[in-house]
Amino acid sequence: MASQTIASSMQPTDVYGGDEVSAIILDPGYSSVRAGFAGEDTPKSFVNSHYGVADGRSVFGDDAIHNPLAGLEIRNPMSKEGIVEDWDTATQLWEYAITSRLTSFKQSDPRTNGLNDDSKDIDIEMEGVDEGEKALEEHPLLMTETAWNTTKNRERSIEIAMESWGCPAFWLARNSVLAAFGAGKATALVVDVGASTTSVISIHDGLILKKSIQKSPLAGNWLSSQLRSLFSTTEPKVDLIPHYLISSKTPVDAGAPAQAVYRKYENNIPESFRALEEERVLTEFKESVVQVWTGPGRLGSANPAGTTNIDYVKAQPGRVFEFPDGANQMWGVDRMNVAEGMWDEKAALPVPGEPPVTKAQTIPEMVRASIGAVDMDLRAALLQNIVVTGGTSLVNGFTDRLHNELTAMYPGARIKIQAAGLTAERRFGSWIGGSILGSLGTFHQMWISRKEYEEFGANVVEKRCK
Amino acid sequence: MTSHDVRDMLDLPDTATSRPVKKQKLAAPRPVLKGLAREVQNLSGDNPIAIVPEVSVFKKRRFASRKPAAKWELTPFKNSARTDDTLVLKHWRRKAELAPAPVGEDGHMEDAGVKPKPEIEDSTFAKYNVRVTVPDYTDEEYNSRLQNQDWTKDETTYLINLVQEYDLRWPIIWDRYEYKPPLPTMNGDAAEGAIMVPPKVRSMEDMKERYFKVAAMMMAIRKPPIKMNSAEFNLHEVMMNFNPAQEANRKKFAENAFHRTKEEAREEESLLLELKRILARSEKLNTERRELYALLEAPPSTGNIGAYTTSQGLQQLLQQLMTVDKSKKRKSIMGTEGISPATGPSNQNQPAQFERRESSVRESISGPSGSTNKKGAQNPTERRQLTEEEERMYGVSHHERLGTNGPAFRHERISKPLLSKSAVQQGKITSVLNELEIPTRLIMPTAEVGEAYDALLQSINVLLESRKLADKLAGELALARSVKAERERMAKPEQGEASNDAGGGGADSEIEREEREKSAAPSIRGGSVHKRSASVLSSVSDKSTKRQKK
Repeated sequence: MASQTIASSMQPTDVYGGDEVSAIILDPGYSSVRAGFAGEDTPKSFVNSHYGVADGRSVFGDDAIHNPLAGLEIRNPMSKEGIVEDWDTATQLWEYAITSRLTSFKQSDPRTNGLNDDSKDIDIEMEGVDEGEKALEEHPLLMTETAWNTTKNRERSIEIAMESWGCPAFWLARNSVLAAFGAGKATALVVDVGASTTSVISIHDGLILKKSIQKSPLAGNWLSSQLRSLFSTTEPKVDLIPHYLISSKTPVDAGAPAQAVYRKYENNIPESFRALEEERVLTEFKESVVQVWTGPGRLGSANPAGTTNIDYVKAQPGRVFEFPDGANQMWGVDRMNVAEGMWDEKAALPVPGEPPVTKAQTIPEMVRASIGAVDMDLRAALLQNIVVTGGTSLVNGFTDRLHNELTAMYPGARIKIQAAGLTAERRFGSWIGGSILGSLGTFHQMWISRKEYEEFGANVVEKRCK
Repeated sequence: MTSHDVRDMLDLPDTATSRPVKKQKLAAPRPVLKGLAREVQNLSGDNPIAIVPEVSVFKKRRFASRKPAAKWELTPFKNSARTDDTLVLKHWRRKAELAPAPVGEDGHMEDAGVKPKPEIEDSTFAKYNVRVTVPDYTDEEYNSRLQNQDWTKDETTYLINLVQEYDLRWPIIWDRYEYKPPLPTMNGDAAEGAIMVPPKVRSMEDMKERYFKVAAMMMAIRKPPIKMNSAEFNLHEVMMNFNPAQEANRKKFAENAFHRTKEEAREEESLLLELKRILARSEKLNTERRELYALLEAPPSTGNIGAYTTSQGLQQLLQQLMTVDKSKKRKSIMGTEGISPATGPSNQNQPAQFERRESSVRESISGPSGSTNKKGAQNPTERRQLTEEEERMYGVSHHERLGTNGPAFRHERISKPLLSKSAVQQGKITSVLNELEIPTRLIMPTAEVGEAYDALLQSINVLLESRKLADKLAGELALARSVKAERERMAKPEQGEASNDAGGGGADSEIEREEREKSAAPSIRGGSVHKRSASVLSSVSDKSTKRQKK
């Protein structure tokens, strides 16, 4: 090892472990793609994973996909399990996420690059640049993947990074590991509740314990389906009409039918577009109304007062939600019912066309299974470092319920839940972990370099990124 | 209106200095105060107006301290911890201040400036790259030392590679352990391979045991335990003493404790509290009991109180007590004097102790000596006691022989048993030694030779003792025989003719008896035999001594 002489101009590197090489962190998920430079605290580029297809041309980004245009089909390149299905589009989507905000043009002297000028035609420039050269020739790329990603997919991602984008170096990290890093833990039990999947994974010293991987579909999209079945069964029925169909509305009393003027489109708006827009309304509903019964006990179980928890909730004030068409209503116990299925399979509302929720899919059971599949000596440490991440975990009362369930399950152990208080930190947990990892000076020895890729082929990712 | 006018109005004495002051003002103009009328300024006279902010100062300072902006540059670097050194990444670094090379220090600066250009600097983080070292072995070593019924060489190698890859993180090694036996080859082993059962499910304890055994064995082969330093030795011991069954039991126990129900946990907690309380109480009870015993054991008054029942008796008692008191007082006065000589020796003692300790320290520095151990026992708090392991490791041995007399030269010790004997004995011993061709003064008295020599001398002693005994017995025998002969002679006149035959027969039987006695207790006549047996007796020690000498 060469002895190092630290020049006076250098910063004391052993105090601050960072060494930033303008690496780019790409964290694709089912609902959104997060991309940004390593060392920053939030991703600069946040792009909806859904993309629109019109006339055989794909459009990306929230600016493009929310226009009610004829024949704008909305699709998602990710599968229901959060892994890539449509590689061609996924590549374009990621490239859009990176080039639209991070590397749209080559870095040059700030006096002449026009960055400080008020220019309107950057978009045009960008496209011109894109065609000419590869997008990421100067940036190492750190990509995330799910713990159940397939070998083929992993190899595919390094091929894209190296061949299409020309990255000098690449690394593929598990998003749960990064979420643990983002919470400052190397050993943790990561409970990741995303859009398409919920996973519970034990991590020891920055490595996934493969036997402990647990996943289930009880996540954000499932919660939306619960809401849909709730809306279809309530009396009166709730019509879910997205914003783009409303021309104007007049305020009405709670529970009264909506009085709105609807917008008519001559051209045929595809169903998938409507589903996307409905999802936005449901997201709003989830954020503001849905709550998890915090415990103790289940929502349906009896409490010490002799009544059930449902009776208790009914006595509490509800929450009002106004739909885009002006119809509004007080939501009482139902706002807790929809999320109860995550914890108690019997409380899940039946969704047409979907298999019923099994016990093993509920979050407490997944934690139990995950903890049960690791070495005895680790269990106590894992229960003291439970990292909760993912956007759906922001549902009100989630962490409290998780804590209550786990203390009931492991009465002898000390349970400590680490859940970021900031919304952004919870949503971008794995990206933030990647940002930390990618900016560490000690990480630069890990990168798979271009030469290694050329020497060993795409399979090198399987050997190196464990 | 000037200050002069104001002064006039307020009846203040008009100072003659007002004129020169004005001149001074002109000479050193006051800071320009904007926004204030000249008249108002003049009102203040010599004193400047306090409310005026000194804005200009800030501006000046800011411009004065302005330096050219620090220059940063995108410098490439590589990381020597990588297996391939082609990856060159770039990071922003402060530009070294040597770019505008001053003319004065040209030569020196250029050297520094030119050097880093061609070779790319190494990452400062490369030094943190640490890998575990795992044992490596050759086929030969494996076959001779590391064979195991349960593990094939292939699987052992797989395990060791996994250990290296995951840096001894056992939970991960256990998690990722997926050993697939190599596909059977075409030759005769194929049948064996085909029958082979699917890979066993290895518990973490199995893996640990195997790895530790291999590692410890290889460690011992590479470096004998005696030569290891303490850390290495401890590691070796720990690895050798790994007990998988105990570990598995511990885990089972921990798991049981982990799966306690709430009630059990609460019960255990309450039991622990109870235990604590009982312990505290028993301690209190013990102290109380001890106090009580102390009271009970106080010397009981055995005297007869009958004498003091009368008033006369009481009077006597009072007088007695008074005299006792007086004598006590005197004693106490005496006591203070008496103490001083007592303190004397104790004071003298302390330096003596000091000396001894210092000398012992010196001894320990000069070399290993048994006395240090003895002294160490005297004040155990000052010297750390070596544990058994450490003693084995450092090669410490205890010498009981030095316990009483202190150190002595070995040759002295060797010659001591010889010198302590009487001159006659010495002569005898030396003659035996001469016969064995061993010099009385050993040529190379090493510890082993000394021990052998000791043993030899002891056996010589035994030999001499037994010879003495034999002599004595032979003497007694001769006496008895002469008595018998005397008796026979007395009886001869009675049985004149028969005596010859009987005498001849007696002589025969005597010879027979002698032969028998020779073997049991060597007589003077059987000297040669005895000598031979003596040499046989000492031959073992003799050989060993000779071997040592060489």
